[in-house]
Formats: sequence, C-alpha cells, structure tokens
Amino acid sequence: MRINKSKNIANWGLYPSIRTNEYEPQSIEEFKEAIASTNKLIARGNGRCYGDASLQNDVVSTRRWNKFIEFDRERGYIEVEAGVLLSDILEVSVPAGYFITVTPGTKFITVGGAIASDVHGKNHHVDGCFSEHVVYFDLMIENGEVLRCSRDMNADLFWSTIGGMGLTGVILSARFLLTKIETAYIRNEAIQAKNLDEIFQLFEESESWTYTVAWLDCLQKGEALGKSIMLRGEHATLDEVPEKIKKNPLKIKKKPKLNIPFFFPNFVLNPWSIKIFNWLYFNKQVKKHVQNFVDYDQFFYPLDMVHNWNRIYGKSGFIQYQFVIPKENGLEGMREILRTIAESGNGSFLVVLKLFGENNPKAYNSFPKPGYTLALDFKVNKGLKKLIENLDLIVEAFGGRIYRTKDAMSKPSLTDYLKNTDSSKFESLQNERINR
Amino acid sequence: MIVLGSNSDISQAFVEKVLKEGQRFPLVYLFTSNVDKTMKLARHIEAKYDQKCEIVEFDLTKNNNFDAIAHVESDLLFCASGFLGKNSEEGLYDLNNTIRIVEINYSKLIHLINFFAQKMEVKGKGTIIALSSVAGERGRQSNFIYGSAKAGFTAYLSGLRNYLYHKKVHVMTVIPGFMDTEMTADIQTPKPLTAQPAQAANIIYKAYKKKRNIVYVTFVWWGIMMIIRNIPEFIFKKLKM
Ligand SMILES: Cc1cc2nc3c(=O)[nH]c(=O)nc-3n(C[C@H](O)[C@H](O)[C@H](O)COP(=O)(O)OP(=O)(O)OC[C@H]3O[C@@H](n4cnc5c(N)ncnc54)[C@H](O)[C@@H]3O)c2cc1C
Repeated sequence: MRINKSKNIANWGLYPSIRTNEYEPQSIEEFKEAIASTNKLIARGNGRCYGDASLQNDVVSTRRWNKFIEFDRERGYIEVEAGVLLSDILEVSVPAGYFITVTPGTKFITVGGAIASDVHGKNHHVDGCFSEHVVYFDLMIENGEVLRCSRDMNADLFWSTIGGMGLTGVILSARFLLTKIETAYIRNEAIQAKNLDEIFQLFEESESWTYTVAWLDCLQKGEALGKSIMLRGEHATLDEVPEKIKKNPLKIKKKPKLNIPFFFPNFVLNPWSIKIFNWLYFNKQVKKHVQNFVDYDQFFYPLDMVHNWNRIYGKSGFIQYQFVIPKENGLEGMREILRTIAESGNGSFLVVLKLFGENNPKAYNSFPKPGYTLALDFKVNKGLKKLIENLDLIVEAFGGRIYRTKDAMSKPSLTDYLKNTDSSKFESLQNERINR
Repeated sequence: MIVLGSNSDISQAFVEKVLKEGQRFPLVYLFTSNVDKTMKLARHIEAKYDQKCEIVEFDLTKNNNFDAIAHVESDLLFCASGFLGKNSEEGLYDLNNTIRIVEINYSKLIHLINFFAQKMEVKGKGTIIALSSVAGERGRQSNFIYGSAKAGFTAYLSGLRNYLYHKKVHVMTVIPGFMDTEMTADIQTPKPLTAQPAQAANIIYKAYKKKRNIVYVTFVWWGIMMIIRNIPEFIFKKLKM
C-alpha cells in the first residue's frame, strides 16, 4: 500500500495545514492494515470540507478506492466505492438520464464525504439531505470488520454514521437512488432582491420550486442590507427546452476550465476588491427578473469552473462560516449577523443564503434543521478570531448551530450536536478540538 | 479491446480514457494473472460504461495454452504487462528472478503479442500499443536485467512496427518514465518527473489517435534519455545510476 509519509495537507480553506501520514489502500486488506497500524486516524475523501474535519496525524484516503460497483440504468440505483467523486457519477449518469438527487455546490466530493457530512443542496426543502436517498452503505469499523448498514441492518450504525464526520469508521461503498431527468438543463430564474425583507419574501414564495438559493452582497448596509439575487430552478423537461437543446438533450458542451495557478499575494483580497467584485456580480444582471435555460454545471457548480479558486485567498487560507438559525428568528438574526459583518469590514466574496426544510429526526447527526442557513467565507487574518467569536454569540443567542464540515474555529458548543457511538480509533483533529 | 496486464494502473486508466471518449467494443478482454483483483475492474467497466468484459486468466510464467484464447480478437491491443523483479544487487544471481523478468517482459510476452499480431495481419487492420520502459534505453547498474528485457522488447516492437506497417497494422511503443503506480508504490520518485496514470492515459490516447510511433509519457524523459544515451561509455561505466 502506498503511504505518503509526512505529507503536507489542508482542506479546501487551506487552513489549518498540517503534516500527516496518508495511507492509500486499494483493497479491503489494505484498509484493515491501515487501521491496525495506527493509533488513531480519520477517513479523508477529496478534502473539500473547509476546516479540520478530515485532518489527523494519520489519515486513510479513499482516493484509490474509486470503482463503480453497479449502475441499474432501468431504475436509477447506483452503487460505488466511497472514493468515487460525484463528478465521476454525473459523467455517466447524465447521459443515461439521471441526476444525483442531492448535491452540494461542488461536484468534486466523494460519496464517502457526502454521507459523512450528510450534505445538503439547493433542494433541501424538497428532497432532504444526501442520506435520504441512500439504500445502504458498507462501513469498516475499528476491528476491521465490514458491516452493511441500512435502515434495517445495523440501523444504529447507519444513523450515527450519517453526518457522523468519519468518527464511526470508514465508509467503503454505498448504494443510492438517482433522480430521473429528461435533459441536462435547468429551467432557471434569477430575481434581484433589494434587501433582506425582499429576499425572505422570495424564499417564502418559492417553496414549490425544487431548487432555491440566494447570493448576497455582504458589504451593503442600512436599507440595502441583504441585497441579493435569488436563483431558482427545475430540471427542464424535453418539451420545455429550445430546439437547439432538443437535438442532444442530455449532453452539454465542454467548457474550457480556468485555473488559478498560484497563490494570490495577500493584498489582492481587501474590502475594495470585494466591493468591486460584488458590484460586478450584482450588476451583470440588468433586468430584475431573468428566465432562461442553463446547463447543470452552470446552475449547480459555478465555482467548479475555476480550478483551485481557493488560492485567491493567499497562503494563509480562509474559512467558511455556515450556520443555521430557526425560521422564526430568521429575519432578525440574519440582520444582526450581516450588520456585524458589514461593520467589521471583513468582506466575503461568497455569501450564500438558503432556506432549509424539515429535517429527518432520525439522522440526528445531520446539520440542517428548519430555518435559514448562511454560508460566508473569510480570509484568515488577525481580526478574524474576534469576528467569529462575535458571530458565534449571535448564532447561539438565536438558537442556531454551525456546520461541522466547514468549521475550523467556532465555539465548541455550536458544533457539539454530534452524538456518535464513540470509537477511540477514528478521531479527527476537529473532534479533538471540539471535545478538548 | 484486448488488455494485457489488466491490473496495471496505466491499463485501467487507458481503458477508462478510451471508453470515456465514447469508443465501445463487442467485448473488452482483460488478461490477468490475478482474476480476483481484475473482477473489480470488470465490474467497474460494466457499471460505469455499460461495456461488457471478459476476464481471461493468463499467467505469462506458466506454459500457456493458446487454444483457450483462440476466440479472442480485436482491433485494439493494449499491453502493459511487466514485472520489475528484484534489482541487480539483490536479484542478479537469483535464477528464478532472472527467468521471471525475462519471461514476463520479453520472451513469453512477445509470443502472446505475436499471437494477436497474426490475427490483425490476416484482417489487415488494427493497433497494438505496448509499454516498454526508459530502463531499456541503456543498461544501468540498478536494474539492467529488467532493462535488458525491455531493450529487447523495444527492439521487437520497432521491428514489428516495420513489418506490420506493410499489412496496415499500427504498432506504437510507449516509454513511460516514473509513474505514480502500484509498481512504484514503495519507491520515492521525484515529483516533477512522475506522471499520474490518468495523465499518462491522456497522452497515450492522443498519440494513439495520431498514430504516433514512439511516445515518451512525460516529455522531460525524452530529454533525460537523450543525455543518458549519449554519455560516452568510459564515463558511463563509472557512474552510479
Ligand atoms: C465549493 C464548495 C461548495 C460546497 N457546497 C456545499 C453545499 O452546498 N452543501 C454541503 O452540504 N456541503 C457543501 N460543501 C462541503 C462538502 O460538500 C463537504 O465537506 C463534503 O463532505 C466533502 O467531501 P470530501 O469527499 O471532500 O470529504 P473530505 O473533505 O475529505 O471529508 C469530509 C468529512 O467526511 C469524512 N469522510 C470522508 N470520506 C469518508 C469515508 N469514506 N468514510 C467515513 N468518513 C469519511 C471525513 O472524515 C470528514 O469528516 C462545499 C464545499 C466546497 C469546497
């Protein structure tokens, strides 16, 4: 088995960065060996979580555990090894007329990571989290045994592993159900909102849409606080799409990929550049209400078009701050948080707002619960700790919590909702930090 | 498509690349000495690309029964069979090691390729893509048994290319340098000189489409081998490489 000794790794936020021994098993035996030969370790998929969730002095990577097992093209069931990326699946499932039922904002995550974080998408209010569509998965536990877990088999382990952040064992493979589609396109509407009141109103009105999300300009103050663009969409049917698409409805054109080849120097990201970026982003759309058809990559994964975009934050990295607050406190809480950020001058390029629907109470380790969720990124700098402390206090006061898979420095009480069946073997730096 | 050495990371990446580009075959024949391991690959190809496979157990070190593979034929053959063996210091005087290296990399392998070359010749079309090695470009003290077998193999491919050219069959020689594969899992290779299997597969695929004759997987290796080949022998013999 390949073992990369003393390798430098960091997750997508590039913070924190640590040295690790990375095991890359290719067989069940090698997975066992990796677990047996370490004191404690954590599974690692594609490192697309932001903070320290998949970091440890020893990590077991699923990078080389990336084979398909079965794809039932009649009924839409797919079974793959845990290291398969969502992008690998889409490459073949879309031409076959299927989409991944729940996908996050990047397709470069593994199926293991999707289950361990129980990821949500723009359709949470309709389809719930990733786990809702999982039939079963195979989990290797501490002693090397492989257990099939489903709602009926090893149900305890099934539910504690979902959203369990790798702390119960290593997910080896999973079977789940895809969604039938007629085209690779989304019927999309983009609507401008002047402020928070307007965007909240829009979310309420859009409940019947499958996909909803809003991008916010976080540097606005006063009347314009919460200025944003709502995007809502549906998988386009064959009847709907323009003639041009009808000819080849399940195929999308290959787009050139951009790449950020090196770390941006520190001065690039500052309140001014963010203002300019936001101005450009929010003014590229002149009309208040736009309707069109976009391919699934543009709709779901706009950020994936620029490879390594995380490098624009420079070597010190950035964090992503995502919280949820209950719906009844939503407007007030969000207002206070946005005000605090605007006052701090710590701008964020990327601010995404979303309304979660009902959660599945059985998936007790999952992050989402009914209410508003906001995700922002902040460059790591001297003032950041203080800002996060302030934001944490507000989130707490409004009865909210923080998404573990993006957490790097929040108050432990906001992320200790995880109730895992404890294993001393599977332990991340994040979990150690939270439970210290 | 016929794949010799199906468990090699490069074979797997190449098969995926070809299928990803949309090519399909009546069957993909996966030749292997490790059936258990290859089953995973076969299942993967069937599930992911909806492409049927047949696993063919074939151990180059045994006495091979060619009747059992009489039915196997295709216009595309990809050969990544190879065996590094023990390097000269440990393995030089170990007869079994030497035999294995020579059989798997050369003597028994060319017998197998000839078997398919003949079928292609009869049909008057086809492509043979085979991986040789930079080790075959000049014998060096660190792995010259392996290197000599690869040198023989490279010469064989070059001659075969010449011969089959007149029969409308194309032969492509691929010379990979360091690869990030299982074969080199325990060796620390310098990063800029090391290619990922998927990267290699892309390069090989492009070359295959362009009907290239000899392909170095990373271009730097062409330069490196150019220099290594041209060091005068009286100096070369004193070097430790
Ligand atoms: C641009 C971007 C957009 C995103 N948008 C969203 C979004 O909209 N919604 C959302 O929910 N998330 C989102 N995320 C977060 C991302 O989906 C999750 O962090 C996901 O878990 C990352 O998967 P990964 O394969 O990279 O796993 P890693 O980042 O390597 O690991 C994440 C966690 O999963 C565990 N894990 C990984 N593989 C296994 C395994 N085989 N067995 C057991 N545990 C395992 C790790 O231990 C760790 O705790 C986004 C991330 C990025 C970079």
